[in-house]
Amino acid sequence: MVFAKRSAKDLIIGKIPFLTVLAVLALLPFLNVGGFWLDVLTMVNLFLLVTLAIDLYSGTTYYLNLGVSFTFGFAGYSLALLNVYYGIPTEYSLLLAIPISIFFSLTILLPSLKIRGVYFAILSLLVPIVFIGIVTAQPFSLYLGGEGGLRFKQLFLDFARSLPPGVRLTFLQYSYYYISLTAAVVGYIIAYKISFSEFGFMLRAVGQDEELAEGTGINTLKVKVIGFLISSTYVSIAGALYASMRPPVTVDLVVPANTLIPPLTSVIVGGLGTLIGPAIANYLLLLTYEFLWGLIGRWRVIAYMLLLIIIITIKPQGIIFKAYVEAKKFLRGVFSE
Amino acid sequence: MLFGVAKIPNLAYGSLYILSSYVMYALMMHLGLEPLIAALVAILVAGLASLLIGELVVKPGLKMPVSVFITTLSVAYIFEEFFRIEMGLRPITLPLYPGVTYVLGVPVSNHWFLILSASLLMFLLLTVFLKYTVLGRSIRAVAESWDESRRLGIDPLKVLRVTFFVSGVYAGATGVLLTPLKALTPTAGWGPLFTAFAIVALGGVGSVTGTLIASFIYGFFEQSMTYVLGSGVASISPLVLIILVLVFRPQGLMGRVE
Repeated sequence: MVFAKRSAKDLIIGKIPFLTVLAVLALLPFLNVGGFWLDVLTMVNLFLLVTLAIDLYSGTTYYLNLGVSFTFGFAGYSLALLNVYYGIPTEYSLLLAIPISIFFSLTILLPSLKIRGVYFAILSLLVPIVFIGIVTAQPFSLYLGGEGGLRFKQLFLDFARSLPPGVRLTFLQYSYYYISLTAAVVGYIIAYKISFSEFGFMLRAVGQDEELAEGTGINTLKVKVIGFLISSTYVSIAGALYASMRPPVTVDLVVPANTLIPPLTSVIVGGLGTLIGPAIANYLLLLTYEFLWGLIGRWRVIAYMLLLIIIITIKPQGIIFKAYVEAKKFLRGVFSE
Repeated sequence: MLFGVAKIPNLAYGSLYILSSYVMYALMMHLGLEPLIAALVAILVAGLASLLIGELVVKPGLKMPVSVFITTLSVAYIFEEFFRIEMGLRPITLPLYPGVTYVLGVPVSNHWFLILSASLLMFLLLTVFLKYTVLGRSIRAVAESWDESRRLGIDPLKVLRVTFFVSGVYAGATGVLLTPLKALTPTAGWGPLFTAFAIVALGGVGSVTGTLIASFIYGFFEQSMTYVLGSGVASISPLVLIILVLVFRPQGLMGRVE
């Protein structure tokens, strides 16, 4: 009986807030939030996948993979190339681009896994930089669109054109939003399951002490490779979806400042390896960033960066996860009275 | 150097590079200072800014290299945005060192000789400083091991402060020396930053000689590739080379295995 009582309480504390947030997000398009914020949330949902990817891999193993933006952008470019040069419609090239991007990320970034610590981080950061160089340099820029990028029809555009003119934009916005939300929710649940599985513990063991983990019979190389594979899958899905919704594909997708720093920041402010912390931080930080635009315009970058420096300097271990645990404790106290 | 001592990547170097150039520009344009004086003041400002960044941003996060990575990158964006808002995207230039010298009948701007002699001088100074002064030796001791050096009575944080200042001065000097050759924009700091990182990684972290050799390899490789492939692809060819080297020799050319 005690068990039943506890699980009911845990259900209230654990699941209800999650389901409430989910319900709000699911109903958002009907709450008159406006097209701008719907677009922003679509992108924030997709960035959640990148945040989870970084947290799941780098947050547990402490192998800081800064090549994430390469994978993100490579998925986008694969989609665009399939579309532009092979005439494959966006809907299908989206599906093809994901495995292609995973394959190339593993091939290019995996050898660097032999290297540990800061070296690995630097080496992985050089990969997107080289890629940007290739895309913008002659003669590759002729095929890859150079600075202007590659143009193609965005996802579902053909179908939208068969609809009455008044609902076309709304259809695109709503469908993108729900695709991104589904990806975010499914991505989170899977990441959560992985994190608390036996494999999740192996990842953490590698992060704690790689030699010790090896000594206890864990094949650390295998764990790292599989972890990397999962992480790259998340980022490739996010990159391909993002690109399909926002053509043209340009080097902006590969620039670490755009597609690496925001999710990496969420992971640190949220609390490394805790999943829920980075997930909440992902929404809070990215929405704050957009909100600041209306408030202070061009100075938002400086204000946001200062805010980040202050948060990270004062609490390098992250603040969101701790706040979340405290809030849970508080709720538990309220319900036990 | 800082990387070797603190084992942390400071991404704010590019900002010091553009900071010194903008300061020199402002001093010359608005106060009418002589180029040499303006350059020295600008380099000093870069050193002090580096010290400040170290104290306020890097030091609190020493135990979490990941967070230092983000905070120093944030600093770099703050500088970039600030100059973007204040100065706009319009490129500015600084004057070249006047005069031309004929080498084998080919005219070469004296500025190149200034760069060559200044960088050789700076390299020699740094080597002498690191090898023969108490402070320099302390820096190397701290780079070797924080705990050991503490046992020898060295204060690693004090050493770190010196390192910040010196590396800031060097980044600032690079800025005032190179800006006259290429136009300066708020985003100009990124190129030298990545080049510097790539060279440090290639040479072996913490090895000054390795860094020197690596920068020559980098430069020659880039120039020869420009000759073979044309300027577009050539600019990234050294990076490809570095990635290949690091895959086979992760510790870099002159670095030691930890």
